[in-house]
Amino acid sequence: MNQSWVAFLPLFVKAAGITIWLSWLALMIGAFGGTLIALMRTSRFLPLRLVALLYTEFFRSIPILIVLFFAYFGVPLVLGIDLPPFAAATCALALHASSTMSEVVRAGIESVGKGQWEAAHASGMRYPAIMRYVVGPQAIRVILPPSVGVYVATLKESSLASIIGYIELTKTGLLVRESTGGGFAPLLVLAVIYFLINYAISLGGAALERRFDVGQKFLTVGAGQ
Amino acid sequence: MTGPILEIDTLVKRFGSRTILDGLTMSVHPGEVVCFVGPSGTGKSTLLRCVNGLEDIQGGEIRFEGEKVEARSKRIVAVRKRIGMIFQQFNLYPHLTALENVVLAPVVVHGEARKEVEARARVLFEKVRLSHRIDAYPAQMSGGEQQRVAIARSLAANPHLLMFDEPTSALDPETVGDVLAVMRDLALEGRTMLVVTHEIRFAADVGTRMVFMDQGRIVEDRPPRDMLADPSTERAKRFLSSIQG
Repeated sequence: MNQSWVAFLPLFVKAAGITIWLSWLALMIGAFGGTLIALMRTSRFLPLRLVALLYTEFFRSIPILIVLFFAYFGVPLVLGIDLPPFAAATCALALHASSTMSEVVRAGIESVGKGQWEAAHASGMRYPAIMRYVVGPQAIRVILPPSVGVYVATLKESSLASIIGYIELTKTGLLVRESTGGGFAPLLVLAVIYFLINYAISLGGAALERRFDVGQKFLTVGAGQ
Repeated sequence: MTGPILEIDTLVKRFGSRTILDGLTMSVHPGEVVCFVGPSGTGKSTLLRCVNGLEDIQGGEIRFEGEKVEARSKRIVAVRKRIGMIFQQFNLYPHLTALENVVLAPVVVHGEARKEVEARARVLFEKVRLSHRIDAYPAQMSGGEQQRVAIARSLAANPHLLMFDEPTSALDPETVGDVLAVMRDLALEGRTMLVVTHEIRFAADVGTRMVFMDQGRIVEDRPPRDMLADPSTERAKRFLSSIQG
């Protein structure tokens, strides 16, 4: 019985992959949803702004675990459809990520000065073109750094999925710990793996930022207020 | 005999309870260079912004080439396509090179082929004397250079009317002359221009009309030399003598 955790290392690696995939999927859905919410939030139509505000405040204010329980236990009760643990976890994480991302994207859009909108409007551009060619490319520089943080946060939060029995990284660690006699080592391995993944993401994010930073050309005063 | 390109009839613009433009009426014919002067806060810039619908209006009517200007209408885009605007703060797109700044609207708004627009843009850069800065980003350029790119940008869509909103007010004194020289060339080409400016000498040399505004109204509207030589109102006389030093 008292097997070494080393034998389970391939299992850890596989589980790490699952965790990365789960949180990446949640982040992508969250970024897409968050962008929609942010566009509503910055719209000139009051009802859209209100709906977006409500959505953001709602999902920011309740624990992800509660959302997870709602998705896993509540949805079958209300809608009569069973969500598998993976789907429930993805939903809960994506809902939460979208509320965070909506604020990140909103800050990015609002960082672009009024003069940019006016110049674009004056040239005859409409909203979609302005977003795509003028405001979006400038906003992305502001959006990118905190987005990396949101990914890291989502990845850590994905460990909550272990509670509804989804076998991701944390759950794998706990199972290994049980079958190896409850030692301390598997927990340490978990911590190290989470650290390595998130540190890699941070490094990757920094590289991405450098790529999107068109030199210093961008920030200097006088260029675009 | 051509009709006016721009007709403004008893225009009223308010911000909240403050009246900025107070029943202003004027028309502009093709080829005219109208220079707006007067104390700040008298609605000169706001007037330009009403003409291309950047501001909505509370009363009266604006017609550009016979078409009613309505800020909130979808058809405002058709008006804006034919009016070029130059801002005090340049408002170049900082993430695009000078060339890309000029090319963007003709390609995106007018649906022109990029190649053709680029060729035309190069000619425009010659005209504003910036051929050597074509690949620079706005933040790498001086204010005067940026403003000349902004002029090239507004010309790229072949506008029928050019509006300059204090184009040299944000510039270092030594770069003002370059921008004014380009504007002078445009006037000599016979372009129709509305210019809000404090450069009285430029207005006198280049303008065909000088409009003195105060408190949202037109106080005087005459050929610049006449007005400068002999302002017919006390208000204009005081302002012009103060600004000429």
